[in-house]
Amino acid sequence: MGRFTDEELQRKVQEGFIVESEEDMTETYKRALITQLTVQGDTELISAPAYFMAARDAPSTNTMVSATAIIQDELGHANIAYRLLEDLGVDRHWLLYEREPAHFKHPYGFDQPLMNWAELVSANALYDRAGITLLGDVHRNTSYGPLKRGLVKVSLEENFHLRHGEVWIRRFAEAGGAAKEAVQRTLDWMFPMGVEWFGMPDDRKHHNAQLDFRLKGMTNDQLRRTWLKAVVPLCEELGYDLPAQYDPGTDEVELTYELPCQYDPEARRWLFNETITWKQVFQRWKARGPMNEQYVDSLRRSRFAVERLLAA
Amino acid sequence: MSGNGQVYEVFARKKRADRFEHVGAVSAPNEQLARVYAWQTYDEAKWFEMTVAPRDAFAAVNRPQAPFTLGGPGGRAPGADSR
Ligand SMILES: [Fe+2]
Ligand SMILES: [Fe+2]
Repeated sequence: MGRFTDEELQRKVQEGFIVESEEDMTETYKRALITQLTVQGDTELISAPAYFMAARDAPSTNTMVSATAIIQDELGHANIAYRLLEDLGVDRHWLLYEREPAHFKHPYGFDQPLMNWAELVSANALYDRAGITLLGDVHRNTSYGPLKRGLVKVSLEENFHLRHGEVWIRRFAEAGGAAKEAVQRTLDWMFPMGVEWFGMPDDRKHHNAQLDFRLKGMTNDQLRRTWLKAVVPLCEELGYDLPAQYDPGTDEVELTYELPCQYDPEARRWLFNETITWKQVFQRWKARGPMNEQYVDSLRRSRFAVERLLAA
Repeated sequence: MSGNGQVYEVFARKKRADRFEHVGAVSAPNEQLARVYAWQTYDEAKWFEMTVAPRDAFAAVNRPQAPFTLGGPGGRAPGADSR
């Protein structure tokens, strides 16, 4: 490390320079990259036990197989991020097995239980869409060569997950009745989770190393807007109610509730009338949600069970 | 190198006439598991052929260091004997 100063590197990457080795980096660049990859890897990893919890409710063998294929993809995506972190000197064993569950960096939305098939396919439609929005931007814009290459496989597979979700919520909508109601009940708590997925609004963030070093191209608010413009018109077309409105005239989406607001994880309900500060939201994220420990534990349990078995 | 053994680079191609592509890397305690991890992880295409090689087998030709040098033990400089 140390060929460039932060300012030099920032200017170079804005002009299209691609970082390929440690000597191309600065300390600040490396730290921002490690944070970004940790969020990415943790999100992929925790999606696996979350999706698995819901997949147990798969309505048939075939649907179970497609859910399992998605889960296996997610584990592969986590491996890609953690492998890149290993090259940056981060210990993968520590990442996977030694961290406090509360120190994982995935979004709060993946700390929630996914109870059934309707919740799984809604998560594919909303959360995998969020994943595509975020990682698609990174794929197009990142200044880190190894990550740009790693995302080729990820982007391809995320599109399958998204299609799986969208095809199924359409099927539920066309079935109507209790089926449609099951997805609607899911969207009621899941949609605002997706809105929060993209983090603090731009006016709360003073400076952003990930943007300065071109580790991503779009700001939080731009990413959130991209996601809303994909999710809201589709749900409206399918006849689902969301606390948001799409205006085809301006091609903009407007939320019909005040952001940010409080969530009651026990009741699985947003308290839209209880406006809070972003600082309070941040505290809720940091405290993590109801499934945090269980999801992390479920990824660790079998490995240690096998180790004990082999040692016996 | 860490408890995971060593890093293997993964190359694959979709059909006979194609060039090999570098599709990623895996960490594995030995070559046999590296082959399994590579096949399981990089399953995005119906590969005609996939191959793995230990990272430290790559020698630089025109640059001072072989590629894949980040943080890891690989990427030996030209002239340094690998094993
Ligand atoms: Fe993924
Ligand atoms: Fe996914």
